[in-house]
Amino acid sequence: MPDVVATDEAQRRPPGEEPGAGASAKRTGVPPWQQFIAKYGVLVALVVTIIVFSALKPHVFPTGSNLKAILEQFSPLAIIGFGLTVVLVMGDFDLSVAGMIGLGSAVVVSLMSKHGVNYLLAILIGLLVGVAGGAVNGALVAFAGASSFIITLAMGQVFNGFEYLITKQETIFQGIPNAYTQIATGTFLGLSNQFFIMLGVLAIIYLLLEQSTIGRFMYALGGNQEAARLSGIRVRELRTLGFMIIGVCSVVAGILITSQNDSQQPNSGMPFFLPAFASVFLGSAVLRPGRFNVLGTLVGAFFLEVISFGLTELSLSTSVILLVQGVILAGAVLLSRLGRAAT
Amino acid sequence: MSGEPLVSIRGLVKQYPGVLAVDGATFDIPREQIVGLVGKNGAGKSTVIKILAGAVQPDAGEILVDGRPASVHDPRQAEALGFGFMHQELEQFPLMSVAEKVTKGSNLPRHAGVLVSWRSMYEQARTTLADLDPTIDPRRPIDHLSIAQKRIVMIARALLARARLLVLDEPTTSLTDEEIKHLHAVCRKVRERGGTVLYVSHRLDEILSLTDTVIVMRDGQLVTSGPTAQTDRSKLIAAITGTGSGQTAAERRRARGIAGRPTGEEILRVTDVESDVVSKISFDLRAGEVLGIGGLVGAGRTELVRLIYGADPRTAGQVFVAGSAVDTTTPPKALAAGIVLLPEDRRNQGMVLDFNLRENVTLPSLSRFCRKRTPFPDRGRERGAARKMVERLSIRSSGVETPVRHLSGGNQQKVVLAKWLERGAKVFIFDEPTAGIDVEAKEEIYQLVEDLVKQGNGVIFISSEFSEMVAVCHRVIVLQEGRLVGELDGDAITERNIIELCYGHVGAVAA
Repeated sequence: MPDVVATDEAQRRPPGEEPGAGASAKRTGVPPWQQFIAKYGVLVALVVTIIVFSALKPHVFPTGSNLKAILEQFSPLAIIGFGLTVVLVMGDFDLSVAGMIGLGSAVVVSLMSKHGVNYLLAILIGLLVGVAGGAVNGALVAFAGASSFIITLAMGQVFNGFEYLITKQETIFQGIPNAYTQIATGTFLGLSNQFFIMLGVLAIIYLLLEQSTIGRFMYALGGNQEAARLSGIRVRELRTLGFMIIGVCSVVAGILITSQNDSQQPNSGMPFFLPAFASVFLGSAVLRPGRFNVLGTLVGAFFLEVISFGLTELSLSTSVILLVQGVILAGAVLLSRLGRAAT
Repeated sequence: MSGEPLVSIRGLVKQYPGVLAVDGATFDIPREQIVGLVGKNGAGKSTVIKILAGAVQPDAGEILVDGRPASVHDPRQAEALGFGFMHQELEQFPLMSVAEKVTKGSNLPRHAGVLVSWRSMYEQARTTLADLDPTIDPRRPIDHLSIAQKRIVMIARALLARARLLVLDEPTTSLTDEEIKHLHAVCRKVRERGGTVLYVSHRLDEILSLTDTVIVMRDGQLVTSGPTAQTDRSKLIAAITGTGSGQTAAERRRARGIAGRPTGEEILRVTDVESDVVSKISFDLRAGEVLGIGGLVGAGRTELVRLIYGADPRTAGQVFVAGSAVDTTTPPKALAAGIVLLPEDRRNQGMVLDFNLRENVTLPSLSRFCRKRTPFPDRGRERGAARKMVERLSIRSSGVETPVRHLSGGNQQKVVLAKWLERGAKVFIFDEPTAGIDVEAKEEIYQLVEDLVKQGNGVIFISSEFSEMVAVCHRVIVLQEGRLVGELDGDAITERNIIELCYGHVGAVAA
């Protein structure tokens, strides 16, 4: 091996190789088309999708009001996706999100409607329920050593049970203060408040995952838990924190959903369950291929909402929309595998 | 016919990102011989093997089998050509039985062409194993076997698949002397039956005693190839390193000026540390001292240091750093007390393979790189620190943003060292820091250990190569079956004395 000087200059050009076209493909041994798909596949698919819908429905799809509606609707989905990104980064699953969305929003709405609690206080209590539920998940997974896949599935059921206990499985639509409804339906600078709340959550999770020490530790323990532990990282505490974050994100999404609907309907979290996971997996094939990342999740959630809007506007049925979403999730998983191979 | 080599490698080239792993390697593997392949880490041995196995495609060059060009695009083709492999890292389905493992890949005996005939499968496995190691029961799950037995199972599997070339990559790592002897006997048996063995090892003693031909690679190329009888240890070392000649451990020890125990203050004291594997061990360590822990595989060396570091729970025992009792029941607490552990298994415990060099180096000390009063590390400063480490430890990489999975074993080990140096400590525990790395990198690690103790730190050094403990340690304690059985100091530290303590009766303490 020739003397490799360990500088960044050397990284750009490996020894004994001319710089120029095709060099990067030769270096990694992965065909260039595969690298391209891994890096930009999802973005290309998004653009193509937008073009197709715009061509099919030129007066409905490519309009400002449609974009505003998409931005409004995809916000709760994205928020759940951001929270899920945090746990998935650490190699954990949280299948209790739907249950937590229902429980959190049921707590908030019933406090206001049945007990006359001030809406801000009700929201605070709801968020605390998210923290507590996440802490229980985290304790069971990180401290008691249960498999996150199974235990959160069970906990989702428990959350669901509590929700029904509170609401008696009835829709609550009376006694919800106007101020609460305004949270989701109000606008700022012509865009839905939901969009800005989503941006706020995005900013926080982005700073946490991509910029802070905690995020670095989370990625480290997702990459190699034992090495992280032996490096002095508090693995159990971090995993628990992850579940608390997704707990809070679920409740925030639940608040937006009930505020938007001006009512709390039983099991309102369920429709968000699969799309939220799909957003994260789709996102792991964007920007940083093969790695769960929160900006990717943003793109993923937006993509799914574009598809769902487009298909609805083409007057296709829910069954087709579900089908397409399922296929996209499967495709996203394959894409992110490709991304891992290419890096 | 027998004059013609079994396999010829012609002008093989393989480029990885930033690293030219194989650079025009050309050599022959003569048939019906045991052929040693040696070279430093990063010399290209593993890549050549991966190319033979069909796991990696070369960028240029060809492979001739029986004089005819052969293509090896995937593992199936490699098997069809008669190549069988026993890799360094054993991938196993733990619950699969020995017989399933051995017969997998060959045509499974079947009833009516569909149902697997278990009886004839066991029979097939038994006959194949009978020659190699009759004590292995084909019905046992793979997981219940010792490492040595697992390796023999993999050899049996290759033989049953009619392998003509058996490739063994570091087959004696973590084996006891007895097991090594047995494995060597198996290799000779394979040769008697007309097979050819390509034997890759860092242990020159076994290369010299076992092989017929030895091939030396350096920097991705052939350096020399010839009959083993016409070479010796120092010639081999010279060929491997490209410089100088080999010294004995005692010579190296003298060259380093290591005499008796230094007179520094006590920096670490361990009293009555106990778990289900280790029984009541006490020792102390002074500032400026390198303490070796000797013992056979399974004697409890790794277990002991993991208890001290809090990596595993201990049932009893107290740890004192610089005279005061400290809590080291978890790794973060041990770190806070000034103890670091470089774990035995670097790939699975030492680093995050998906992380780049910078991220691995700064992982245990990340908060130090944060911008003032924020939890946000400054990547520029991290990069600076990582570059300094790259320079200090002469890590070969194409930059600090290179993922560590692209580095060679020796350089990966240096990255793990770098992360603990960056963190800093009073007591450095190194568990097998030189396992599987080349002569030059080993020298650098010895130098590093010396520098650390000169700065007033204490070092605990575990190695299965006793000669290197002789070369670097001021004092050696020896464990046997979880018990401390002896202590050697000064000139009493010789390979022979260490080995005697390892095998001696519990309670007998050598001078």
